[in-house]
Amino acid sequence: MLLKLRQVTFGYGAPLAKPLDMEIPVGQVFALVGENGCGKSTLLKTLAGMIVPLSGIQELDGRPLAEYSLRELSKKVALVRMGLVAPTEMTVREFVSLGRSPYAGFLDGRSAEDEQIIDQALTEMDVKAFAERKVAELSDGERSRVYLARALSQQVKLLLLDEPDAFMDIPRRKNLFVTLQRLSREKDMAVVLSTHWIDYGEKYADTILAFTSQGNLEFAPAVRARELGLFSWAEV
Amino acid sequence: MKRIVFCFVALFLCIVALSFITLVSGPVDVSIGELLDSRIFWDLRVPRVAAALLAGIALSVSGLSLQTVFQNPLAGPFVLGISSGASFAVALSMLAGFSFGRFGTLTAASVGAFGVTLLILAIASRFRNNTVLLVAGLLIGYFIDACINLLITMSDGESLKVYVSWGMGSFGRLTLGGIWIFASAVLVGLALISASVRYLNGARLGDDFARGLGIRVSLYKKLVLLGASILAAAVTAFCGPVAFLGIAVPHLAYLLFKTSNHRILLPGSALCGVCLALLAGLFPEYPLNAILSLVGVPVILWVLVRSAKRGGL
Repeated sequence: MLLKLRQVTFGYGAPLAKPLDMEIPVGQVFALVGENGCGKSTLLKTLAGMIVPLSGIQELDGRPLAEYSLRELSKKVALVRMGLVAPTEMTVREFVSLGRSPYAGFLDGRSAEDEQIIDQALTEMDVKAFAERKVAELSDGERSRVYLARALSQQVKLLLLDEPDAFMDIPRRKNLFVTLQRLSREKDMAVVLSTHWIDYGEKYADTILAFTSQGNLEFAPAVRARELGLFSWAEV
Repeated sequence: MKRIVFCFVALFLCIVALSFITLVSGPVDVSIGELLDSRIFWDLRVPRVAAALLAGIALSVSGLSLQTVFQNPLAGPFVLGISSGASFAVALSMLAGFSFGRFGTLTAASVGAFGVTLLILAIASRFRNNTVLLVAGLLIGYFIDACINLLITMSDGESLKVYVSWGMGSFGRLTLGGIWIFASAVLVGLALISASVRYLNGARLGDDFARGLGIRVSLYKKLVLLGASILAAAVTAFCGPVAFLGIAVPHLAYLLFKTSNHRILLPGSALCGVCLALLAGLFPEYPLNAILSLVGVPVILWVLVRSAKRGGL
């Protein structure tokens, strides 16, 4: 099991949900849904090890998350947030190359193998055509894919995405979900993404994780989520 | 890649040419053979070139790394109040008659700069927020400048003249024997910053992002601050408060090298800084700070206008 949560509560000060017991295996996509401000981002940051849980234990590959060094953790987990502002001089290739930083030596060099992995990530997210352009000059949708390519080049086992589809049109959103599903199977990787697009989650994710009401976080296989009422809060 | 190699070669050739001009030209006209034996050459011109080289490297590397740490294009060695700290201690020794032992000004500037550095490091370990640190640094600078002004109003004409001339900066004060001390301080500063390249490359995207790349942000931030302070302190001690070069040069390096990778930007900025410092040093009869600002201000304005056009600011 990649990530095990035992009686985990999370939040800043007060817990945002009841204690959570959950297992996240590799090769699966988890869609995290819920209204604005319910705690989706806080949960993702907690899973990423950026925030210490208020109580409970997280185990990553059989070892408590708290025991990992920053560098060890960065080779297994990456959190991608779309609100990032890239410096004006940074090119797409330079940005994606940052994903190799956890593997780099003292002077932050890149080996031929690193360059190959970066190329692969660029191709995978279909951003290779503008690899030499500046990140700051891209459209929101293009930039989202570049941000994802960085996480891919980091070759993590647990990929956490905070609303990666926020700036995408319908064809690209569909594309994203298809790609994430494929990557999770091919690269033995677990993907947890937060999204406001429930129907995409239902169709392409394996598990739905939903904040159904204040302080209630439930999960169920995607095929059964609707009948179990995980989407009742979102009905029009 | 081609562009980067070309820029490095061009800058290097510029530096060789400018150093040569500085070494052979001067008010006293002598042949090369005589020159190499003369005292003018070894006691005046060699230290002058060394001062420009070391100050150029130190100020630009310090400026670049501080701009990266603070994610602010207007940061530089002066923002942390380091130069002010050095100036204050020198003002104490020159205006108020405090004695700082054998090396006088040199010791005073180092003591002042390190006093402020320790204060900055203390603030950096208490507050993780970069903006707090930046504002605190600026405020410390203003506070110290006010203290200096008080000292100035209370001092007599003769010592004031000495202090004002120190404040204008010069590459002409370094002695042949002082080169090694200056060079060692610069090497220590450069080593601390070079050890933090991985952090600097991630830092432009924010502390959280850098941590996500497995970088120990709080440790490396302190290393870089310490390194940048040592560099700024060394320059202030040997050349006076000429920190201004530090905010202009990194922008020149961005324009030339068109990259955000500090493996290239650090040596690139250093070479640009040396070029500008040697260029300014060609006019030893004018105050260094005035010449540096005359060169530096147009560069910064140009960069600001350019990025404003692209909607960057």
